[in-house]
Amino acid sequence: MTAAGVVLVVDDSAVNRKLVVQLLSGLGLAAIEADNGAAALEIVRGERGESVDLVLLDVVMPELDGYETLAAIKADEARRHLPVIMISGVDELDSVVRCIEMGATDYLPKPINAAILRARVNASLADKRVHDLEKEYLERQAALTETIERQRRELSRFLSPQVAALVSTAEGEQLLAGHRRQITVVFCDLRGFTAFAEQAEPEELLGVLRDYHRMMGEQVMANGGTLEHFAGDGMMIFFNDPVPQEDHVERAVRMAVTMRERFADLGRGWRKRGYDLNFGVGLAVGYATLGRIGFEGRYDYGAIGNAVILASRLSSEARADQILLSQRAFAVVEELVEASSVGELTLKGFSRPVPAMNVERLRNSADAVADFAPEAVTG
Amino acid sequence: MTDDTPATLDDAVLAALRDSVGGDHAFVADLVETYLADGSTQIAAIERAVGLGDAADLVRPAHTLKSASFTVGAMRLGELSRGLEQRGRSGELDGAAVDAAEARVEWDAVVVALRGWLSEPRS
Repeated sequence: MTAAGVVLVVDDSAVNRKLVVQLLSGLGLAAIEADNGAAALEIVRGERGESVDLVLLDVVMPELDGYETLAAIKADEARRHLPVIMISGVDELDSVVRCIEMGATDYLPKPINAAILRARVNASLADKRVHDLEKEYLERQAALTETIERQRRELSRFLSPQVAALVSTAEGEQLLAGHRRQITVVFCDLRGFTAFAEQAEPEELLGVLRDYHRMMGEQVMANGGTLEHFAGDGMMIFFNDPVPQEDHVERAVRMAVTMRERFADLGRGWRKRGYDLNFGVGLAVGYATLGRIGFEGRYDYGAIGNAVILASRLSSEARADQILLSQRAFAVVEELVEASSVGELTLKGFSRPVPAMNVERLRNSADAVADFAPEAVTG
Repeated sequence: MTDDTPATLDDAVLAALRDSVGGDHAFVADLVETYLADGSTQIAAIERAVGLGDAADLVRPAHTLKSASFTVGAMRLGELSRGLEQRGRSGELDGAAVDAAEARVEWDAVVVALRGWLSEPRS
């Protein structure tokens, strides 16, 4: 239907109905006719009710009169916004007042006057259009919000939760664009993994990685680390970004120690099956540039800086079950851990030998720093 | 007919009606035919309700005949119907039989007048 609107005309008088329909068609409006209130309600509640923009309703009718019909429309959650104009004789103003109190929009006096009909119908249709637009707008807003929420949920499955949250905030955009900050970087991987990967069946390999990632992932989350990436058995995690953490070095060390403890159980099971795999960690503190790294179509949230390289080299040097700290990292957590020197290491890309410490264990919480988070020392 | 008695047929109303639908005489003629067909049903319903003394059943046909009559310019019948509708609403049917008889006579006059209007040549 190409009409500018659809009007339901409810009147038991065929003469009035015909006249109104004719006048409406002169206004470019299509009409649906009903000769009593019950028939009108059937139309309003049915499929055609969706298309109705306005109801012109006679007060005095058989079956269901104008009051009852009006009350039923206004009681219908889906249709109560449908404007209703009462058609009423000038000697029935009392009933008009009652209808307007019941929610009717306006009234049209009988005998029908073409100019009044045009003015009142157009005004009501304009109101209806505003209401429809408002409803459409709200529905679109809700759909948009739902889409954003879904994207955020999906993103948080692929990205670190901290990074996923960044993507949907205004200040996040600035952080993504790039910034410098002091961070603690942790690299960990499995000694013997390359040899294992050469011999193992693909199913075995994936099974081992799944168990390992799950266990490590739990510790990353529990300690608030940002997982930058994992590649096979290797993982890079950093702290103090994008969410600032005053105790970022302590968090990183606690995470590494807990990972090593948890790994002991996992490794025992593997060794029974003949897999010779061991865990090693490198940990360093320093300034890095953080933000979006990559190219259009594929970006990661990443960190670039000396601390990243140092942690990576320390991880390569770490022997089975070692957690190697850079000197600066050790200086921060000295009171928290028992550690032993592994001497000065010659690392690729570093002109001078680098001193490193291996973390033996965490000190008991009683003699360690005061604000020691209890969940981090379990296991 | 005295001066304050409304006309059986007010040609001006029909002319205004025709103007309001863009001078579509055929439409007005069709509307008048509809009125004549419906009106005979309503006048019969009025007589039946008055005969049975059923005030409630008098209201609707009198109401419908009233508004349709005013629409086509049958002013006197419109007034008579209004009186009958009010009697129905008040439940006061004493003298309603006289009014109903008067409405019947007026209806016959309206039919003649409208038939005459319909048969007038149009330019």
